[in-house]
Amino acid sequence: MSETTTVAEPLVVEQAETKPGYAGQSVPRKEDKRLVQGEGVFFDDVKRHNMGYVHFVRSPYAHAKLRSVDVSKALEHPGVLGTLTGDEVALLTDPFFQISSPPGAHLKDFCLAVGKARFVGEPVAAVVATTRETARDASELVEVDYEPLPVLTDAREALADGAPLLHDEAGTNLTWEGVYEWGDLDQAFAEADRVLKISELHFDRFNSTPLECNGALVEFNKGTGQWTIITNNQFPGFAAIMMGPAMRVGLDKLRFVTQDIGGGFGNKITSHPQLVACCLLARKLKRPVQWTEWRTDFHLSMSHGNERWFQDTEVAVKHDGTLLGFRTTALDDAGAWLRYEPLGGVIWAQVTPGMYRWRHIRLDFKQVVTNKAPVSPNRGYSRMQHLWFTERVIDIVAHELGLDPVEVRKRNYIKADEMPYETPNGCIYDSGDYAKMLDTALDLIGYDDLESKRTDAESRGKLLGLGIGSTLDSGTNNFGQSRLINPELQFSGNNEVATVKLDIFGEIVVTLGTTPQGQSHETTASQVVADILGCSVDDVNVRAGHDSYWNSHAGFSGTYASQFAVTGLGAVKGATEMLAGEMKKLASVVLGCSPDDIELAEGQARMKANPEAALPFMALGAIINANNAGLPEDLDVTLNCRYVYRPPFDPPDVERKYGNLTLTYAAQVHAAVVEVDPETGVYEIVDYAAVDDCGKRINPQVVEGQVMGATAQAIGAATHETFTYDEDGNLLTPNFYDYHVPHALDMPPLKTGYVESPSPFTSLGTKGMGEGGGAGIHALCAALQDALRSRGNPIVYDSSNPYHRVWELLSDPEESRKRVAVETP
Amino acid sequence: MDVVSSQTVSVEVNGTTYEREVEARRLLIHFLRDDLDLTGSHVGCDTGNCGACSVILDGTLVKSCMLLAVQADGSSIETVEGLSQEDELNPLQQAFKDQHALQCGYCTPGMLMSATALLRDNPSPSDDEIAKAIQGNICRCTGYWNIFKAVKAASGQEVGE
Amino acid sequence: MLLSEVGYARPATLEQALGVLAEYPGARALAGGQTLVNVMKARAAAPDVLVDLAGIPELKGIELAGDGTLELGAMTTYSELIASAEARARPILGEVCAQIADVQVRNRGTIGGNVCSSDPTNHLPPLLVALGATFTVAGPQGERTVPAGEFFLGVYMTAAGPGELLTKITVPPGRNDGFASVPIGVDGTCIVNAAASMNGGVRVALGCVGATPVLVEAESADAVRDAVRESAIDPPSDVHASADYRRHLAEVVAARAVEQAGKAS
Repeated sequence: MSETTTVAEPLVVEQAETKPGYAGQSVPRKEDKRLVQGEGVFFDDVKRHNMGYVHFVRSPYAHAKLRSVDVSKALEHPGVLGTLTGDEVALLTDPFFQISSPPGAHLKDFCLAVGKARFVGEPVAAVVATTRETARDASELVEVDYEPLPVLTDAREALADGAPLLHDEAGTNLTWEGVYEWGDLDQAFAEADRVLKISELHFDRFNSTPLECNGALVEFNKGTGQWTIITNNQFPGFAAIMMGPAMRVGLDKLRFVTQDIGGGFGNKITSHPQLVACCLLARKLKRPVQWTEWRTDFHLSMSHGNERWFQDTEVAVKHDGTLLGFRTTALDDAGAWLRYEPLGGVIWAQVTPGMYRWRHIRLDFKQVVTNKAPVSPNRGYSRMQHLWFTERVIDIVAHELGLDPVEVRKRNYIKADEMPYETPNGCIYDSGDYAKMLDTALDLIGYDDLESKRTDAESRGKLLGLGIGSTLDSGTNNFGQSRLINPELQFSGNNEVATVKLDIFGEIVVTLGTTPQGQSHETTASQVVADILGCSVDDVNVRAGHDSYWNSHAGFSGTYASQFAVTGLGAVKGATEMLAGEMKKLASVVLGCSPDDIELAEGQARMKANPEAALPFMALGAIINANNAGLPEDLDVTLNCRYVYRPPFDPPDVERKYGNLTLTYAAQVHAAVVEVDPETGVYEIVDYAAVDDCGKRINPQVVEGQVMGATAQAIGAATHETFTYDEDGNLLTPNFYDYHVPHALDMPPLKTGYVESPSPFTSLGTKGMGEGGGAGIHALCAALQDALRSRGNPIVYDSSNPYHRVWELLSDPEESRKRVAVETP
Repeated sequence: MDVVSSQTVSVEVNGTTYEREVEARRLLIHFLRDDLDLTGSHVGCDTGNCGACSVILDGTLVKSCMLLAVQADGSSIETVEGLSQEDELNPLQQAFKDQHALQCGYCTPGMLMSATALLRDNPSPSDDEIAKAIQGNICRCTGYWNIFKAVKAASGQEVGE
Repeated sequence: MLLSEVGYARPATLEQALGVLAEYPGARALAGGQTLVNVMKARAAAPDVLVDLAGIPELKGIELAGDGTLELGAMTTYSELIASAEARARPILGEVCAQIADVQVRNRGTIGGNVCSSDPTNHLPPLLVALGATFTVAGPQGERTVPAGEFFLGVYMTAAGPGELLTKITVPPGRNDGFASVPIGVDGTCIVNAAASMNGGVRVALGCVGATPVLVEAESADAVRDAVRESAIDPPSDVHASADYRRHLAEVVAARAVEQAGKAS
């Protein structure tokens, strides 16, 4: 670690117009009081009388037929309450709905492996017992007769002759493909001065490893046929859609309850198979059933991030570095099952050109299955992979053409005065000044002193490098993009719900539809409510967590995809404005004036012209709830307002693959400085700057926290975090011992800067943020490439650069350079 | 010499003495969470790397997942539940809140115990010393930077805005 | 994550401990537990009985003799060693212990556990080999001493065999010592490490390159890299490093450890 790990004061470069009120203030968090006292309620904290503990028996083989699963000995073990096997599951449930068109549509995915195991760690049976330890013990008595099959771990071999076939029903490992083409590639390449060819780039497999793993406590109410699922699934809307039909029950029979969740980052979206298993067991055993996913279980089986190969890339470029267009094949490794995939096959297109103005683009997307853990959204989902690709291309173009990476970016960045900007595939970037962000990042990192820093490093025997990573965090999905994957799908748009009510004693109660995992929803929602109602944030009670019984949710409810500041807060704003309107209407009736004469301030509804004529909120609440005789018959006031926020989207044009896929486009420009030890390949991040623009910031401290967290995760992904498999399909990093995440001593000094370019498309001028687009990965790859320039100019071709990879680049730069060629057409 | 597969243990936790029959194989973290209903300390891994289970045992910071409950027989343990008095946050907890040193809150109990142990030993730590003290506590949300600030602030040192 | 059933004994004396080990062939000594508990969580090993050594006074304590020889009780924790004024007679000991993992591990983990688990990536085996330490082993037949070079027999295998216990580690006087490593992240698991001692001659013990530490002796500091190259080590390949990369790193850390030793005094 460097001499100091201080984080500098945040630099606010540009701030949107500030109005008085809570929005824009770093209001202290409501969540903290319970969390710092250990009084948060996470799913594993909840207990039910008589509950049984589940242990999943998991396949030790990456690919094997399940000839038989015999639970008889396990059932005899004292303390065992029951079991569940794939054969039962195949009778009791239907396969999970597949998002994909054929052949992916034909996959038969159940909550336990049926007939075959397809990745190490795949659950093949479940044992329930009176204690956790007993369930674990008994699981060793389950006898599974495996017939091992050949294993496929490299996506590039998935389509080779004789490659092991994972799903007979699909008949191929290529479960989805799509060709995206916009503009005029032939024209672009005809106009090019140079064509840069890159044979292969690789975005590695990793995920965000939230500290709390997945899990649930499931109860079944036999009388009503309803399950209560106390869990940490972060997208209950999706889980319900997947589970209901599979279990052959209506969605209202699945009540999802969350309170505190220990991090999600997208990795808590696809727990629905295990939740179904728990539901079946709760019903079968007539008792609550509890499942805790241990760290190794999570690493082996849950939510790996998309691993993607970019093959045969060709980039059309002018002499001065102007980018005209590119074509590439994106080979995506989905793992053994499509649990949220193939949506990754279109979601990257939210940011097709990255931050750049090239207009002619072709991308062949091919997704294959392999004998590895199923992928699912991971912070930056699918856009991060694509933006890493565009950043590698910019950097390699600059290097190979002998141009300055800073100048090449500025030459090609979309300009602030071009906003809103329509990309080649019809996405509308709302606002942003990328060049200004880049200048700010360079300033924070001391770019002017770069050469003297380089010389100083050299005197200490180190190679110094500076890298830039510029990226976008597109937020608020238009689910209509799923039709580009499968035209038969009936999804489009998006929504989120909030309910705000005024209770009998004047309490303001807010119910969200979201499932926060640390994003401070209770706090920021209260800021929006307080500003509209003219009261203190302390007077606004926001219920913790999510409960579908509250009926304050809709089909897309949950917390994922960088959207709360737009959808969640949009719903809060809508509901509160409804409530405010009703409060004014009611007050006007009582005070004998028109609603326009009423203002809400200091916890009262009062006449603007005569503030003494005022009704405290308690009075309003009491009238509607307990004292409503004599009110006008047509007075339409309930003081309990539910609002569904709906972003303005059209269904995209499926033919042209054209249309706006996300509502907002937050931007990140990061700069990293590394020092490499050329003797060992070991490197240290010695300086780091992160500049962020997410439009209007409701709570700057919360935004900064997200920027820091995304930075730390990107650093981890770029350095040591990797889900690497051996050729037998064994995961070599199945726990925190081998999968090294950043610890406190690994953190570089950090400087942050903020620009506020409000979004013209959102009710608060906010943009969704939080995922961060992987800027740190892009910046570190560029920094390493810069540092190693003097040692044969190797090409950084992989997103993951642990010491051994840097060593390879140092030892044999020519090997990496074979991937790159510059031709003059 | 007795070899037992379970025994009665007596542990004092945050000033209260508990006596329970427990299997020898039960980890201290599970004893605290499942047997004593003290769910403030958390489980984040299965190889002793994450520190979410950190508690102070007889004055020493330990990972409670790396100890058997029977090893704690007769010991005095401090957990996060003992930091505040009657719902009033202590200065360290308040500093975590002020500096936004937690987001999801899952690592926070362990982090607070590690910081508590540090400040008892070193009332005015540098950033490096803080990092060394919480090196055994993984956080995935904050990147640690605000945690450094919080511990510094709790120690009475300047941290700026 | 969840252990198999196990018996537990907490002897008050060394003799009692040896008695339990003799009576239960499937028994294992429990020192700090920072390795063994993990192994049991993964069910990679499931001893029948754990013999908790925490209550045995004979296994604790650090003594510094007049001639500078250090006697370290096997149950000395890393934190105790770091804090010990006596142990500062050989500063490299505390310096290396301070690089192990984190505070929680250092508060419970013991030097005896570190050497007896004989994990190839551990810090103390190569260090104690380089320093020429001796290990005192107690068993049913009585007590004997084993030089460090003969103590480590393989992964998780040492000269302290079934039914025996390491009771103390004796470190001769000296100060010209060094230690260098390439860990995964700061204070992380070592990819390679090397300990050097230049108290008469140049001794370098390489860790992480074989089942046990590899001792390399050289004529001078300058000859160390060649000596490592000629030692024909056959390091393993894993997700963190290929055999070739480890072989290269071994040379580098050996040279750096020696450089450090040369500067120490």
